[in-house]
Amino acid sequence: MPFHKINGKMVEAPVQPGQRMFSQRGAMLGYRGEVSFTPNLTGGQGGVMSMIGRRVANEDTPLMTVEGRGTVLFGHGGHHVHVVDLVGDTLCVEADRLLAFDGTLQQSTLFMGSQGGVMGIVRGQVTGQGLFTTRLSGHGSVAVMAHGGVFELPITPGQPVHVDPQAYVAHRGEVTNRLSSALGWRDMIGRGSGEAFQLELSGQGTVYVQASEEKL
Amino acid sequence: MAQFRLQGSRVLAVDLAGDAVKARNGSMVAYTGQMTFKKLSGGGDGLRGMVTRRLTGEQMTVMEVQGKGTCFFAAQATEINLVRLNGETLFVEADNLLCTEAGLRTGTTFTGLNGMASGDGLFTTKVEGSGWAAVTSNGPAVILRVSQGMPLRVDPGAYVAHTGNLNRSLKSGAGWTTLMGEGGGEAVQAEFTGEGLVYVQPSEKITFGGDV
Repeated sequence: MPFHKINGKMVEAPVQPGQRMFSQRGAMLGYRGEVSFTPNLTGGQGGVMSMIGRRVANEDTPLMTVEGRGTVLFGHGGHHVHVVDLVGDTLCVEADRLLAFDGTLQQSTLFMGSQGGVMGIVRGQVTGQGLFTTRLSGHGSVAVMAHGGVFELPITPGQPVHVDPQAYVAHRGEVTNRLSSALGWRDMIGRGSGEAFQLELSGQGTVYVQASEEKL
Repeated sequence: MAQFRLQGSRVLAVDLAGDAVKARNGSMVAYTGQMTFKKLSGGGDGLRGMVTRRLTGEQMTVMEVQGKGTCFFAAQATEINLVRLNGETLFVEADNLLCTEAGLRTGTTFTGLNGMASGDGLFTTKVEGSGWAAVTSNGPAVILRVSQGMPLRVDPGAYVAHTGNLNRSLKSGAGWTTLMGEGGGEAVQAEFTGEGLVYVQPSEKITFGGDV
């Protein structure tokens, strides 16, 4: 079920019987046809165990299940919406940036600390991203929110991309990320350039960056 | 030479080949290749620039970005306007200046009472030389031409920047209704005369003039 962009801040999605869709609670703007919205107590896919996992991981943005027949409009907070079509690959995104996604996608919570050990834990604290992130994989579409629109940067082996942690939105593909710091003596005496910490993304894939340094 | 281009309307991409640009502190959102970021001591050029910055409050914390690759800049999802300078002078509020090529000189000028009433402060930033500068505006800016005999009046809150040989003065549109508290909210305007271009944004900053 592809998302159809109405404008930069609103997407429309068709809903058919037997095809579920998940969206952030309260993100429905309008709908046509017979569509029901049920709050999703488990906060997404999987059973109670994955719900507990998400609660623990603080990646449990309230979701609702969208079912029925018709078309639904989604949008939230005036943020720009970007649609990512997954074809068997994976997308890592913060749960609070997820606007809506196909029920066909596999949802899981990823422990970021496993990438990079202690530095991974430091990264979560410094960037405000926390230790966990939501991972979606399979075939389907995802609508992601960002402040001020999104642009894509390709990541190829040997050419890592550095992103300001506040401007980072999501990434897809086989990408490892690590916190790189450019802390020097200048930062210690308060003469830093404001770019002391960066996320270094390397591997093969795409990173989505927003045109603002404002977290959602 | 640094190459300035727009990635969409809200992201500035600068291709660097070992040279440097000056940008607002913390405005980098992403980069490829090798980059170093260094805070510049002051913002204006040289020691004198630093002293004037301190005194005038027109300070923009600036960093120098140097390296090889592409660096992306953005500021709070504001629209970006590229301005090419060929020896002329660009006057811009420090808040609206995002990035300048290393060859451009930045300084501070006194705008006097004009600035004060418009909420812009007494001083404004001056950019001179040849090269690219990136100016941010809240919403897409329109560029209005001013020529001899065709002065332009803009709301001080919507004014972003200007280039060319322009004189700026403050005009009052206040009448007796304003005094009675029935003003139209457009009591103060900035008038530009001469030859040049004025950048106006579709949004108004909070100004003293906007209240009356």
